Amino acid sequence: MADRTVLLQLLFSGFGTGGVYALVAVGFSVVYKSTGAVNFAQGEWTMLGGMTTATLAALHLPPALACMIAVPLVGLVGLMSERLAVAPLRIPTPMAITLLTIGIGLATRGAAMLTLGKQPMGYDGFSGNAVVQIAGIRVPAQTLWVLAIAAGFLLLAQLFFSRSVPGKALRALAADRDAAALVGIEPGRGVMWCFALGAFAGGLAGAIVTPLTFISYDQGAALGFKGFSAAILGGLGSLPGAALGGIVLGVAEALAAGTLSSQFKDAIAFAILLLVLFLRPNGLLGRADTSRL
Amino acid sequence: MLLSRRATLQALTAAVLATPVVARSADPFRIGTVLSVTGPAAFLGQDMKDGAQLAVEQINLSGGIDGREVEWIFHDAQSETQRAINDTRKLLTSDRVDIIVGGGSMSGIALAMSAMCEQAKVPFISTEGAAGIVAPVAQHRWSFKSTVDDDLAMQRLADYFDKRGIQRIALLADTSGFGQSATEQLRAVASARGLSLTALSFSPGDTDLVPQLTAAREAKAQAIICWTVTPAGLVFLKQAQQLALHEQATLIHGYGFVANRYMELAGNAADPLLLLSQKFVVGDELPDNDPVRQPILALDKAFRERWNRAPNQFVAQTYDAVQMARTALAQGGKDREKVRQALEAIHGLRLASGVFDFSPDRHAGLSKQNLVLVSWRGGRFHLADYT
Repeated sequence: MADRTVLLQLLFSGFGTGGVYALVAVGFSVVYKSTGAVNFAQGEWTMLGGMTTATLAALHLPPALACMIAVPLVGLVGLMSERLAVAPLRIPTPMAITLLTIGIGLATRGAAMLTLGKQPMGYDGFSGNAVVQIAGIRVPAQTLWVLAIAAGFLLLAQLFFSRSVPGKALRALAADRDAAALVGIEPGRGVMWCFALGAFAGGLAGAIVTPLTFISYDQGAALGFKGFSAAILGGLGSLPGAALGGIVLGVAEALAAGTLSSQFKDAIAFAILLLVLFLRPNGLLGRADTSRL
Repeated sequence: MLLSRRATLQALTAAVLATPVVARSADPFRIGTVLSVTGPAAFLGQDMKDGAQLAVEQINLSGGIDGREVEWIFHDAQSETQRAINDTRKLLTSDRVDIIVGGGSMSGIALAMSAMCEQAKVPFISTEGAAGIVAPVAQHRWSFKSTVDDDLAMQRLADYFDKRGIQRIALLADTSGFGQSATEQLRAVASARGLSLTALSFSPGDTDLVPQLTAAREAKAQAIICWTVTPAGLVFLKQAQQLALHEQATLIHGYGFVANRYMELAGNAADPLLLLSQKFVVGDELPDNDPVRQPILALDKAFRERWNRAPNQFVAQTYDAVQMARTALAQGGKDREKVRQALEAIHGLRLASGVFDFSPDRHAGLSKQNLVLVSWRGGRFHLADYT
């Protein structure tokens, strides 16, 4: 009985963390799809979402409203980053864009430190500090919010890409840039919206997880690293893959920390990652891609 | 760097002009300081720098040391060991300082600086925590530190557990040097004092400690100690509250977490918490006969007047370190070996962090009597357990 509740407690905790990893992974996937680049600024945008929401919440805005203002702001930061740094590139190779995102990330971190401060921040969750009893275990209400919001966002993103015209246009761009341009889809615009969407997803992840974990300006890299692992695990460029990768990584970490030793936690997460990459080089749900050369 | 040094010199010159007592012709004492005002350790570094600067300014206003003014050379290590090493090299070779005070605000940096000062035979007073900065003394003849050792901190906790009849404890330490050193020391203390210990760890960037807390609960721990300086310690508090762990166990944070900002962020999750701390944060609640009450209140007043904000224990660490340097330089003058011996001879020196006793065998000056347990209520720390 005790073991069952412990396991359940660990699973919930893993799902909560996994939901956040999944959102960050979506950000990586979207930018990768449109440019072929790994966006190293993704973690910093996640941090920025948390810091901005906490700053607004400190001004006595309701947490949900603070979140609704902060997350689009982060999306705007992503959009502006693309316009100011990536769009002017004459030859936008994936490598050049990847290198640029490192610079964007550093700039974002520096700007966050200077404007939002060096101190860690946090705010009460959407339901305050409420704790919900489920099947004999105690789960913070915010964890449920995280799960619901992450699931909702992933579903919307999936619908956007599979049903809507702009979504289909972005997919067309990812599939064949030149052919898409021939049918009237402007590649530069597409990349811009993908950066905005990626930043939005990251900002959302940061915003909803901050009540559980707090955030400070230097935590972006760690979040980005975990999100990137989740994206690779699920298959970079696949939305369902990002969701699955995030959840698998989160649960693996929680189980490893709770049942073995916490020191093995990261090691086990990465062992799983390596194993999956050996057996399925394109990730759990990734499809074998033709080379981009 | 250059700019801050120039600014410092200007400030010093202004201070010197205001006090004609100082004989400007005498060769000044040069004190070098390396701290991290930016980077991950920035949240400590600014306070530490301001504490050291206040001490130097006070010394020069009161006529310097032995008639010589103090020239203070400050470097920001930016929380990077490599940068700190370059800065230290500059201090040792081109600036030719008489003593170095402050080890970069991070134990890892201080360890590197300790080795460099050992080689250059220049006295070094570290304001960082790790025991390895000054131990074993045979290899650290030139290094001293103004902070408490972890083994003594753990002894102090064990004393408290004895008093409360607590036998089963759990430790959640982060995987940094700070946390791992604590784990090692608590293991030794626990086995020596018959405590059953469940040692767990987490990485400083962790955002979920439910697995570790669940393990502590399953081990039926009567006290759960968290050892970190990172915001993960907040996650510890929040999630312990969510799991209602305070009904089962006393929650304790180490001295690395004694910060108003953290307590404010924790909100009511900090209500059941005890923190192991130096006496500084509860100076005004100490008994009148406590030897460090007066130094604390004096520093508190001077710091508020100079910087218009309240000081914390990190201010006291560097402020005290400069006071120790002052004591030693007054005796040893320009002879570094004599300064080193004067530091070893410091005995019963009452400063804001505690009463310092160095000896040729021990270069960490604070005993466990300098530690208390405090709690957080109504926006400030309160004395909860006094030796």
